Amino acid sequence: MAASAADVRSALSIPTPVAGPSQLKKHPSQSSRKPEGISRELYSLIGPSAPSLAAQLAKPRLKQKPNLGGGGKVKWEWRKFKNQARTDSLELSHWVKASTDADTEYAFAKYNLQPPIYSWSEDEYTRLLQGMSTTDAFSENLTWYVIHDRYEFKGGPSRELEDLKDRYYSICRKLVRNRPWHADDASKNQLMASFNFDKEREQVRKKYIANLESRTPEQVQEEEALYLEIKRLEQNERKFKKDREELLRTLAGVDSGLPDIVEDEATFFTIDPKLQKKKSRGFDAESSLLPSIKRAPVVKDPADDAKHCIIRTELSATTPATKAAHTPAFMRSFKLPYPKAAIAPRVTQVLTELGISPSRLVMPTRDNCQRLETLMDEATTLIELKKAVDKSIQDIEVLKARLDIRGNELEETVQTQNLDGDMDMEERGTIEPEGEDGRAQSVVSTRSARSRRQSRRSLSVSSVDTTAASSARPPIKRQKRV
Amino acid sequence: MVNYGGDEVSALVLDIGTSSVRAGYAGDDTPKAIIPTSYGYIAPSPDADVQMGEALDNQGAEQRQKAQLYLGHSGPSLWRANMEITNPMAEGLIQDFNVTSRLVRHAFEDAMRCTPSEHPVLVTEPAWNTPANRERMAEIMFEEFQVPAFYIANTGVLNTFAAGKGSALVIDVGQTMTSVIPVVDGFVLRKGLAYSPLPKLVYAHARHLLTTTSQTRQAIDLSPHQLIANKLPVEPNAPPQYTLREDRLAGTTQTWRTWAEDREVEEWVQNVAGVLDQGWNDQVAASRSPKQYEFPSGYNTWFGGERFAVGEYFFWHPPHLVNTNQNLPKTIPALIGESLRACEPELRQVLMGNVVLTGGGSLYAGFADRLANEMSRGFPHVKIHAPGNPIERRYGGWLGGSILASLGTFHQLWISKEEWQEHGPAIVGQRCK
Repeated sequence: MAASAADVRSALSIPTPVAGPSQLKKHPSQSSRKPEGISRELYSLIGPSAPSLAAQLAKPRLKQKPNLGGGGKVKWEWRKFKNQARTDSLELSHWVKASTDADTEYAFAKYNLQPPIYSWSEDEYTRLLQGMSTTDAFSENLTWYVIHDRYEFKGGPSRELEDLKDRYYSICRKLVRNRPWHADDASKNQLMASFNFDKEREQVRKKYIANLESRTPEQVQEEEALYLEIKRLEQNERKFKKDREELLRTLAGVDSGLPDIVEDEATFFTIDPKLQKKKSRGFDAESSLLPSIKRAPVVKDPADDAKHCIIRTELSATTPATKAAHTPAFMRSFKLPYPKAAIAPRVTQVLTELGISPSRLVMPTRDNCQRLETLMDEATTLIELKKAVDKSIQDIEVLKARLDIRGNELEETVQTQNLDGDMDMEERGTIEPEGEDGRAQSVVSTRSARSRRQSRRSLSVSSVDTTAASSARPPIKRQKRV
Repeated sequence: MVNYGGDEVSALVLDIGTSSVRAGYAGDDTPKAIIPTSYGYIAPSPDADVQMGEALDNQGAEQRQKAQLYLGHSGPSLWRANMEITNPMAEGLIQDFNVTSRLVRHAFEDAMRCTPSEHPVLVTEPAWNTPANRERMAEIMFEEFQVPAFYIANTGVLNTFAAGKGSALVIDVGQTMTSVIPVVDGFVLRKGLAYSPLPKLVYAHARHLLTTTSQTRQAIDLSPHQLIANKLPVEPNAPPQYTLREDRLAGTTQTWRTWAEDREVEEWVQNVAGVLDQGWNDQVAASRSPKQYEFPSGYNTWFGGERFAVGEYFFWHPPHLVNTNQNLPKTIPALIGESLRACEPELRQVLMGNVVLTGGGSLYAGFADRLANEMSRGFPHVKIHAPGNPIERRYGGWLGGSILASLGTFHQLWISKEEWQEHGPAIVGQRCK
């Protein structure tokens, strides 16, 4: 649907341009050669005024093709070859490059390896091997399963794989021992060792494998279940141990100083057959597997306690011996009483002045703990006392100030007898003498109560020294307003 | 070239099975020629029939030699008047070597169009082949085909090689025989070999199933298309409308008819039959989607549960059959058990981890899954290698031979003609273990 330039021209009745000046100009530019390394589209856009850049625009090049040798055709020929691994003159043919040498050894001949097989002479046989019921039917290669499979000695006894192996290796050992050996003894011993064969052990091993395979599916399942259970118990134990250690570490700082708790791993790893048999008969696995947790009953001997510095804390007789009432083991230093939160910083301050850190005792023995406890108690008492003293002093000051005011007021009242009627209640209350009317009195009482409370609060917040001044100030301020 | 160890000397690989003879070049992935082993022949003259009497068996073989043989793809499958069909194999072993050599010549010269005297030939044999048989085969190859070199290898070993393994428990389900062959380091453990003519029973059962009237359908006429003049399309499960070729019926021999009908059964089995992977269960069998199949007569129907009943015979025999028949071929699980019992205990786990399923008879849908389920009941770690490609599954033995005969290191094992002439048949037993 796109209208071409010609359509637009015809629609607007513009005459089609005949070779205009612009086109005339184009001709020479087209005739000029496009420089190398610049694309045709680009050249038609920028024209012959090719920038100096064009010189640098190299034509994109493909990666050079790899030279795979020769480049030319490879001539192959169907050639006969002899296999050196063969003893006969069979000549087979295969395709080879014509360039290869015809006399080279067959590439696969080198894989023809013969395992060293011992054979024996007649003399050796009569001297060493007679009476061993030897046959030389087997000694061809050492794929024992196949040897055993093919072993059929007519009239001879049927032999197990182990019999064959044992026979072969014992003969080899005997031959090595009795033949003249040219190399050193070490290599001889090594060779002898390689011919070692423990028939009994192999038979036991085979029997074991057979047993393993003859298990019924139920047995296999049960064994698997037992194995899983053991794994689970083991994991629980490990988790428990880890938790315990972590707890100790958090309680006693970086290094608990306690030796690692040795868990009874033996009970989990050595599955003694008795235990297993018991379980397989359907006994409760839990009861038999869990190590005995119950300890021997504690013997309380005062002499022994003293010797080992054991201090017993007796449970009160009223406490029921339930699990909830049980007190777990704890660190003595953790049971130190904390001062009341309100005065704690000041207690700390006092202790710091004395050069004692209350948070951590270097040696939290029983005596030290007790001492610290008394010290803290005394510090608390001291601070409370000081607080009471401060408060009394302040009260005295307030009262004194009030007394002064009252003295002044008394004088003023005498001077100005008549008072404005619109005086507000509060001011009147403070100014008017006590007991003028019931309402005023009540106001005063509330007022005093509030001021007292305020002073107490400020006391608790500010330091000991400043309390007196700050608590004394507000009433004064109020009075200034008057 | 040395990287993959191959060095091709344009050897021929020949794999003779009961259903087909496979021949091709070593190094290929599929045999070039696959021809049916069954062949047709027409007795030479009617006057010979008169003499037939007590010496029937001896004369039969003689007659066959004289007779015109019809081999290959246009052999037994073409209807010819008075043509008998027979098979040179019995229980996986070659019985009639005269015909076998004809078959081999047909495969090499007519199908492959090559000259056997120019190529070394690798022949396969079943694991239970007799020494006499393999020596005879060597003799045929050297004396009759004038091959420069010969080797005979076991199908179990070759299947192991085709699967890329050295040790395996090969489960080979063929047309007549099922065998379980333990292979260790490229050698068959003969004591662990177990085999039975199980597929025969399965086909007999399938045939019985089709040709007897059941609750849902009538007995099926298995007449092959060669005997049908015309037919009309009918609705599923409707009686077929067809006419037989009366002109041919008279000249049709019983052996040809049996052979042709067996082929129909086989075709049906290949298209429809399956195995339930979790053991027989009427509900599961009924719940599987039925498959439609049309016979040459035009009769067609949907086969539901009964298509799974066929494959079930590989794994389990119903008690009534066991009670009435003493010589029932062993099932596959029984064969596996027997084979493993004869093997060293140490080897069992190795073998179970390398089970190779092969043979055209194992191509039932769900066969490998069922086998895996059956085996994992007794052994925890069973791994079955079952090629999904039907060519690889059916011609695994040939493929292994193709691999073996194209290896550079194998060429030292060929029995050369020179060795044959020098040592005689004994060399076969010595070289091919």
